[in-house]
Amino acid sequence: MRYSFRLLRPPEVVVLAVAAAALFLGPAWIDIGYLRLIAEILFVFTMAQMWNLLAGYVGLVSFGHQAFVGIGAYTLFFVSNSLGLSPFVCVPLAGLGCVLTAALLSPFFFRLRDAYFSIAMWVFAEVVRIIVSQSAALGSVYGMPLKTARQIDRIWFTWGCYWWSVGLALASVVVTIVLLRSRVGLGLIAIRENDLAAKSLGINVWSAKLVAFLISSLGSGMAGAGFYMASFHVDPGGAFDVNWVVIMLFIVLLGGLGTVEGPVVGTAVYFILRGFLADTGNWYLIGMGVVAALSVILAPKGIWGALSHRGIELVRLRRNPMLSQRR
Amino acid sequence: MTVTIVGLLVNGLFLGSLYGLIGLGLAFAFGVMRVVNVAHGEFVILAAFIGVTLVPYNPASPLLLVPVVAAIMFMVGWSLQAFLLDRVVGKDQMPALLITFGLSVALRNVFVEIWGADSKSIVVGALKFSSIEVLGIRLGELPMLTFAVAVALFVGLQILLSKTSLGRVIRATADDAETVQLFGVGPRRIYAISMGLAVSASAVAGVLFAMRSSFNPFSGVERLLIAFEVVIIGGVGSLWGALLGGFVLGVSQLVGLYFAPNSGLLYPHLVFFAILMFAPYGISGQRQ
Repeated sequence: MRYSFRLLRPPEVVVLAVAAAALFLGPAWIDIGYLRLIAEILFVFTMAQMWNLLAGYVGLVSFGHQAFVGIGAYTLFFVSNSLGLSPFVCVPLAGLGCVLTAALLSPFFFRLRDAYFSIAMWVFAEVVRIIVSQSAALGSVYGMPLKTARQIDRIWFTWGCYWWSVGLALASVVVTIVLLRSRVGLGLIAIRENDLAAKSLGINVWSAKLVAFLISSLGSGMAGAGFYMASFHVDPGGAFDVNWVVIMLFIVLLGGLGTVEGPVVGTAVYFILRGFLADTGNWYLIGMGVVAALSVILAPKGIWGALSHRGIELVRLRRNPMLSQRR
Repeated sequence: MTVTIVGLLVNGLFLGSLYGLIGLGLAFAFGVMRVVNVAHGEFVILAAFIGVTLVPYNPASPLLLVPVVAAIMFMVGWSLQAFLLDRVVGKDQMPALLITFGLSVALRNVFVEIWGADSKSIVVGALKFSSIEVLGIRLGELPMLTFAVAVALFVGLQILLSKTSLGRVIRATADDAETVQLFGVGPRRIYAISMGLAVSASAVAGVLFAMRSSFNPFSGVERLLIAFEVVIIGGVGSLWGALLGGFVLGVSQLVGLYFAPNSGLLYPHLVFFAILMFAPYGISGQRQ
């Protein structure tokens, strides 16, 4: 099968390579205090992008992605502390833990449609939170510190977390673009529009959904592991908090559901607002909920959706049948 | 031992009737409007807070609060549908799902702002502790009263839907919102009334619940998850299934708490997953 669409186009490769080089050299030109903030932003961005992959392209709206954030974080802390491994090595293991979890869930959860999938995921996250809160080996409700972090030089540790955040954020963008331009991605978009019609065209709905679900859990889990690694401590109340999904949803809805650029815009807006409004406590959360709800009614395609409607497009994911014939 | 088991079962049924009522509201809104109201748990908690606020103004039995709060919450549900959800009602469930999710976040924190983050409960005085003994089993009067109210509501709603003209119009609208317009029915009006009924039925559960045990602004999540499990276990769109689902969860919670006092809602959640694995369309087996 010859693809009519290149997976990555030359201008995109150039932009991504420049961004990668500039970001990976960050420690050379960015103050260490900012590196920590940027790492946090990029971890959250990765989670939002991964949530978007599932909600925006497959139509699976998960209200339980905090489960992957928490499982990722706890896998990293537990493996690193008990085996004495460097936490940086354990980030992929955290992702693996989440992928295995997602694979085990999929046979049961894929039978549920729409909202039932959304809330079943949430129930799952609650179950894991309660079990973790009662597990003495995982520090019960108090959580646990990352002991192995003390063996690493403070500055190196910050750099390591930062590099992981850069790697994950770039990977989340590249994987999303490549996946959606691949044959599987075409199937995913067909499933989102009408899964019955997609099935009748010979698309394997189950395996296409599974690919997206596994990738999404992998990315969210690694980002969750990185986020808590950078803060040295994890507790069940925070790691399994539904507010993780609130943040992902806010970023994606405001930026533009089902676009690669949307989460970039949304993350920027979120952190700018947080910077100004964090002192207002509750009102900041109230505002976040209201804005998310109103944006569904007033601007259902988000900020980037409104821009791309006016012809502005950076990452082209739409397919043009005439063009593909010419190639 | 037998007495303990029977006691757990009976009290589980009492608790389950409230769970059934909370699930009923969610199922009803889904059945008529195809709207999954993620803020459902927050409305249950809002009803409880309104109840707490009204207690000082109520000289008579605390049970008098129930109809007052139900009436207020009917208006809240009506407004939610008329002003917000009507704009997105249609084939795609996602917009309503996302709107109510955003709304639930905002409501939770509005509660904290108005009523504070502390746990509260509706004071019912002596009623809370009075009980009668039947065949060696102690039955609290309050749980029995709440059970009676819950079952009465189920019966009432069943009669409303099957015997009255409003019920017929609601069922017709649920079946085919386009065709009923040919008969002079405005589906939007019916949607608003249905959401009002759904929210007020669950509000009754919220008030009764707050008399039994304490709640805080964040308890809405637990209520929502229970409501959702009730709906799945009972089968989507089944009134009596919801009551049955509530019973299953109520009994499994009390049995779970008997063996593991700190487990919270762990056992109802696990029972829910077990049922999901073996009977994905619920106990009543209806496929929707």
